[in-house]
Amino acid sequence: MRRIPPHVWLLAPALSFVAAMALFPLGYSLVLSFREWKLAASGAPGAWVGLANYWLLVSDDPEFLEALAATAVFVAADVIATLAIALGAALLIKRAGRINSLARVLMILPFVMSPALIGISFRFFLNPEFGIAHHLIGMLVPALAGRVWLADPTLAMIAVIASDVWHWAPYMTLVVLGGLASIPQETEEAARVDGASPWAVFRDVTLPQLLPVLGVVAVLKTVFALKAFDTIYTLSNGGPGTATQTLAYFVYQVAFNHYDMGYAAAAAYVLTAALLVLSVFYLRLVFRK
Amino acid sequence: MSAASVPGVPGYRAGPAERAAGWLRALAVFVIIAAILLPIFWIVLTAFKVPRDVYTLDAALWFAPTLENLRTVFEHPWNLGSKIVNSVLVASGTVLLAIPMATMAAYAFARFEFRGKQALFLVVIASQFIPAAVIVLPYFLMFKQAGMLDTRSALVLVNLSIVLPYAVWMIKGFIDAVPVEMEESAMVDGASRARVITEIVVPAALPGIITAAVFGFTLTWNEFLFALIISKQDALTLPIGLIGFRTDRGDLWELMAAGGILITAPMFVVSLLVHRQFIGSLTAGAVR
Repeated sequence: MRRIPPHVWLLAPALSFVAAMALFPLGYSLVLSFREWKLAASGAPGAWVGLANYWLLVSDDPEFLEALAATAVFVAADVIATLAIALGAALLIKRAGRINSLARVLMILPFVMSPALIGISFRFFLNPEFGIAHHLIGMLVPALAGRVWLADPTLAMIAVIASDVWHWAPYMTLVVLGGLASIPQETEEAARVDGASPWAVFRDVTLPQLLPVLGVVAVLKTVFALKAFDTIYTLSNGGPGTATQTLAYFVYQVAFNHYDMGYAAAAAYVLTAALLVLSVFYLRLVFRK
Repeated sequence: MSAASVPGVPGYRAGPAERAAGWLRALAVFVIIAAILLPIFWIVLTAFKVPRDVYTLDAALWFAPTLENLRTVFEHPWNLGSKIVNSVLVASGTVLLAIPMATMAAYAFARFEFRGKQALFLVVIASQFIPAAVIVLPYFLMFKQAGMLDTRSALVLVNLSIVLPYAVWMIKGFIDAVPVEMEESAMVDGASRARVITEIVVPAALPGIITAAVFGFTLTWNEFLFALIISKQDALTLPIGLIGFRTDRGDLWELMAAGGILITAPMFVVSLLVHRQFIGSLTAGAVR
């Protein structure tokens, strides 16, 4: 009998779990997306319908198309805001110093906080009668004083984006700081001694070396924004109406409120396709060697 | 331009413009710190307020504190006690299963050359990108069939799908940094592969393994979507307990805040204890 090579038994438990808990559902959901299955009506999957679920999504479901639009707005604003804040904050606190290292330690807190709690808290802060953020923003921007944030489609979207940025921007700041730390000091110093202005040093020396890390942050944040669910569920419930219903939230609604499993699987696969394309970008960026 | 006017070079003296810039920087850092701490601070305050003080801003900072909320959340019908037990069991069960498997796999990826290694590793990493809805849809249907809905074991299983890939990746990074010579000499001395792993590799990579365990625990502790779908009553976890405070009578903010402290405080304590390794290994993947 041949001996089993050690790497096989070392890998077997983890890989079989990854296969069972991630790859198998990936295949199962794909199969499901070609069938009809209204769970409320039947405990077993129904007829094969080919691409009908997908066709229905794009041809006759305004709610899905609205969800796509909401997702585009949410993801774009979320990624841009997170990148800008993370880059700005990282440049600000990269020098040594007591306040800066305190800021660095505190950056962990929002990241380890439950996103559901963050959503609930933002809902509380924005309450029109006694919400502290509603009150303070109203004092700073009188035009917003009388508005009910979560009843206004635009303001509700801003609130949902803000809660997600609050959760992720500190962590992404730490990632950018890691990138800044790996840039050789000499290059920046040489430029400074040559008389380059701080802005020129940043634009011509720091930024080009930081671009790979910023690329990773952008791709990762896009992924997390596409998957965002907890804060949307607890903060706005996708509302008002369907104003903050992103694709991830839409899939949940179809599957677990309408119990339309085949249709939900098709919508979920639209999301999956986007994420798998992003994962290719991500793996290229991180494992380019 | 003389060297003395270049910041960071010896002999440099700050002029008024630089000093003003320094103050602006300090101010901006304070704004960042405030943006992180004030929302947390406000929730903590709210947890110690009686409802009358929550529903007005007149008692924003000056109020008679009460421990009533932290007691009420443990009583019927909220029963956060049983939800804490569920959360602890699900998170520790997930971590206890994931970490040994991940350590073994990470060791194999770090130390062996075999066909398809790169591809297998990339599949493990990429599996994090599968949306949670895709994973939970089939498992919801299967757990329903198997009568496993609303059980902690079901939650542990689905949570493995998010914790395992992260853990493999994180621990591999730490094993990569452990010099291979000690293992080789132990093998020459006749130690078995299992002994090499448990007695040399695991102790050397322990900071990484602990970090991965803490990170996995945090992910599972805060996990929301799986618990929302799979637990109904018996297996409810803390994050789902929090949304129970949204009632027909309206949102019970002071109780949500009290529950918020219970769910957040342990994570703050643990992550601050390991924050150095935490920051290092969380950011390593992106910058290497």
